[in-house]
Parts: sequence; C-alpha cells; structure tokens
Amino acid sequence: MTATFIFGLLIALMLTGMPISIALGLTVLTFLFTMTQVPIESVALKLFTGIENFEIMAIPFFILAGNFLTHGGVARRMIAFATSMIGHWYGGLGLAGVMACALFAAVSGSSPATVVAIGSIIMPAMVRQGFPKRFGAGVIATSGALGILIPPSIVMVIYSVATGGSIALDPEGKRVLSASVGQLFMAGVVPGLILASMLGATTFYRAWKNDYPRMPKASWAERFTAFRRSVWGLLLIVIVLGGIYTGIFTPTEAAAMSAVYAFVIAVFVYRDMTLKDVPRVLLGSANMSAMILYIVTNAVLFSFLMTSEQIPQAMTNWITTSGLSWIEFLLFVNLLLLMAGNVMEPSSIVLITAPILFPVAVRLGINPVHLGILMTVNMEVGLCHPPVGLNLYVASGIARMGITELTIAVWPWLLTMLIFLVLVTYIPEMSLWLPRLLGML
Amino acid sequence: MLLRLLDRFEEILIASLMAAATLLIFVAVVHRYGTGIPFLYPYLHPIHLSWAQELCIYMFVWMAKFGAAYGVRTGIHVGVDVLVNQLKNPARKWVVLFSLFCGALFTAVVGTMGLKFVIELAQTDQVSADLELPRWIVFSCVPAGSYLMCFRFLQVAWHYFWTGELPHHEEGHVEGVEVELPSERGAR
Repeated sequence: MTATFIFGLLIALMLTGMPISIALGLTVLTFLFTMTQVPIESVALKLFTGIENFEIMAIPFFILAGNFLTHGGVARRMIAFATSMIGHWYGGLGLAGVMACALFAAVSGSSPATVVAIGSIIMPAMVRQGFPKRFGAGVIATSGALGILIPPSIVMVIYSVATGGSIALDPEGKRVLSASVGQLFMAGVVPGLILASMLGATTFYRAWKNDYPRMPKASWAERFTAFRRSVWGLLLIVIVLGGIYTGIFTPTEAAAMSAVYAFVIAVFVYRDMTLKDVPRVLLGSANMSAMILYIVTNAVLFSFLMTSEQIPQAMTNWITTSGLSWIEFLLFVNLLLLMAGNVMEPSSIVLITAPILFPVAVRLGINPVHLGILMTVNMEVGLCHPPVGLNLYVASGIARMGITELTIAVWPWLLTMLIFLVLVTYIPEMSLWLPRLLGML
Repeated sequence: MLLRLLDRFEEILIASLMAAATLLIFVAVVHRYGTGIPFLYPYLHPIHLSWAQELCIYMFVWMAKFGAAYGVRTGIHVGVDVLVNQLKNPARKWVVLFSLFCGALFTAVVGTMGLKFVIELAQTDQVSADLELPRWIVFSCVPAGSYLMCFRFLQVAWHYFWTGELPHHEEGHVEGVEVELPSERGAR
C-alpha cells in the first residue's frame, strides 16, 4: 500500500515534466508530512550528509576530465591511431570509429561526451568519403555508449554509491557488501571489449555487404607515428586503471588526477584550448556535476524513505516466497530497466532502482558486481533508442538528422547490443572473470 | 544590475570551487607520494593535508547546492517531458508552470528546513571532524543554495509566463568542439 502510494506519486509528479530530482524530493516531503512519524530534522540532516561521501566526488572530477578531453585534440589523435590500425579492413572509417570510441571510452566516463568527441570529427569525414550518413550516425551513436561500460564510468560510480548503504543478505543469510568502484571498473573491461568487438563485427559485415569505401593500408611506421601522437591520451588509461588497480589512488583521487592531467594535455601539450577557455570548461562541468549531485541528494532522501518504510525488505521477502529463480528475476530486471530507459536518463534510473533491486538480487545469489555491469549495459541500450536516448540526440545534432531517421539508422547495432545484453545477463563470468583474476573479488 | 551581480557571483563561485577542489586533491596525492621520497621528506613531512578530503567534500557540496541553482537558469535539470510535449499550448503552459512552481515549493520548504536546522546548530558548538569548522557554517549552504534555487525557479516561471520560453540545455553541444556540417559546407 505505502509502496504503491510512493511510486504512484513519484510517477505522477515525473509525468508533469518537472526535474526528476524535484519529483523525488516532493514525493519524500509529501510522505513525511502526511503519513509518517520520521522526524523532519533527520531529513534536513540527510540533505547535507546525503552526498558527504568521498566516493561520490569522483563524479565531478570525471566530468571535468571529460570536458577537457572533448576539446578535440585527444579524440582526433585517437581516431588517427585507430584508422591507421584497422582502417584498411571492411568498414574503413566506421570500424576505426568503433575502435576510437572504445579508446575514448577508456578515458571518459560518459557516453554522450564520447559521441560528441569522436562523432563530430569522424562523421563528417565519413560522409566526405562516400559513406551514407545513416551508417556513420548509426555506428557512432551506438559505439559512443561504450563510454559508460569501459571504465572509468560515471554510471558505475553512481551504482556503487546508490547501493553502498543497503543491507543485503545472500541466500545463506550472510551480509553482502556492495561492489566498490574499483571492482566495477575492472569488471567493465572485458564486457566493454566484447561489446566493442561485436559492434565492430556488425560494422564490418554491413560495410562488406554494401561495399563501403576502405582506407589505404598504413605502414608500420605510420602506425607508430599515429601511436606516438596519441600516446598522451592513451597514457590516461594507464593512470586511471593502473592507479586504481595497484592501489596508488582511490577512484576519486584517480578522477582528480585525470582531471588535472587532461587539463595539462589540453592546454599545454596539444594546445587545443587556451587558458582563457578554462573558466568556461570549469563552469560547464560544475553545472553538469551539480545537476547530477542534486539528483543524488534527493535520491538519497528517497531511498532513506524507502528503507524506513522497509520497502526493499518487503520486495525481497515477496520475491523469495514467490520462488522466482535468478534467471527469471534478471529477465524482469532487464525489462524494467529497458522500459525505464525509455523515459529517464541513466543516473536517475540507477539511483532510483538500484537500492531496491540490489537486496533482492543478492538474496537470489547474484553478485553485486554482476548486477552493476548488467545495469550499466541496460543504460547503454536506453541511451541509444528514442524517446530519450541522449546519444541519439547528440548524434542527430552532429549529423543533422531527424530522430526518426536516426532510430532506423541505429537498429543493426542496437540489435547487436541487445544480444550482448542477454550474454552479459546470463554469463556472470564475463563480468566477474577479470576482477577475480586480479584478486579484487 | 543587482541581478547581474548575483549571476556573476554564482558562476564565479561554482567554477572556482570546482577548480579549487581539483587542485586540492591533486596536491594532496602528490604530497602523499612526495613524503615517501627521502629527499623531499624533511620538507613535506611537517605539512599535514589530512583535512584535504573533508575540505574537498565540503567544497563540492557547496558547489552542488549553488550549481543546482545555476542549473535552473541554464535548464540543465531534465525531467520526463515525453508526455508534456504532446500537449497543446494552453494546457502545456499550465503544466509547465505547475512543475516550475513545484520546484519553487520544494526548494522553499527545503530551504526553511535547512535554515531551522542551521539556527539550531549555531547554538551548539559542534565542529567538523578534521577541519574543526563550526558545523553550522558548513551546513549553511543548504538554506542559502535552496533559497537561491527557489528564486531561480520563480524567475524562470515569470519569464516563461510572459515569453513562453524555457531555458534549454543543448545536450549535443560540448564546449570547444566545432561541429563541421558537411551539408552546409557543400552549399557554400
């Protein structure tokens, strides 16, 4: 009853088009003032302490780093490197675009940023070479989604934070802690590479069938030059992943280091921007971060309300007594998240659903890391289809194509992604193998 | 005039908090590893940066509260607008105004709750763990930021009521990337 009321009100408020953060907050307030004895003071305290958490601070740092990196230079050199490596295969620039997206995803934590950085350079080039516009837009809009699967990833940080405080018991009744940001990052590597290969294979096949233009084969000397030029950007992958894995940095510190590093290469090494541009980048990043942190604050309030009403526990009990297996449960999770992906953007979905799904999943014996990767892949799919797929909007802005046309353009790759989603869902080892090998699980 | 000052203040505040927090953590990490180098040890050892994490968190919380207000002005707080966009104009206008007023209402309530909380805290002598700042100063960003955000919501609503325009954040636009348009270039 309470759950129905809470979710009914939340959905009703959201449908008026108000910001999701406000809808979450108002739901909590309405409930507090009318139906419960939870002291208001504890809520006021939560407003501040909700984001008083060093892990969350990785988000603004990764956003800042990403905004410095989108300033052209890094992306352009990564594209040149990718083109020299695989541009002579079927798919040419399109295939190189997939690889460049994967490389850029390894330094950026956001999908739309990856689409912009790679797409704004490679899409016009592809059209100039004689690729149909649809093909280029389809490749980049979907490959850009790798941004949140290949670490670093803002969505993974949010998942880790959203489930951090939950009390979850495994089938034997032992308490299971949530996945750490480091574990999730490592777990994202293998699925990320597999998805990149699958998207590449689709590109290859379509280009081979339609006989799209290819690039001349680059010599090893050219490849080495392209590699040397892009090495500053590629080093960032080593800094972030290596730093977190060896324990030199915490994920938040790695994010801060990568922001400073990205600033240095954008301004002093590649000189894509001058010091005069820096305040604008700072302001834009602060704007974006504040928006996400504001949703986080209100989502913390919301999950505090749910916990105090014992909704996750009730859900867990209901599902365990109904005898649902983990296979059916994950199917349900996928459908739920794909549906949510139709109307909301990733950080809000993860913040709202993760605290509820997490205890249930753990009770059914699903590894928290596996659930995190699965949710991330679902978010990727949501980013690539209408009505709110952010990647589509970004790509349509770059390619000057209507959303409807773009929706048709992405379908071969979207289908590939859905197949990949099934693989990730039912082969937990795909996500768990690397962190286990590295002794992080 | 006063409004423009407020706008500028808001922008400068959040941009510098962002820069300061990044530099702070960078320095703290460099310091931590610098201390491990025997040559630098005597210089770096006496400097304590154990408070860096706490200060970074507070700076980002402040940035988040004031940045959220700035975000109302730039229209970055997105919602589920699928349904609203289907509506025809008089109805749409009222729904949008309703949602803006909900925003103002929520932030006003939160601001007042925060204000009461801060006033109570000011009478105690609680300090933060590492920096030993009075807690009420640290927490005062909640009422200040929320009231500012409330003001921004009303401002946007007022503007929307008269002109029918909402601030809109361009998702496809990322600073510094000039999008080359093949079609336009072809036409030129």
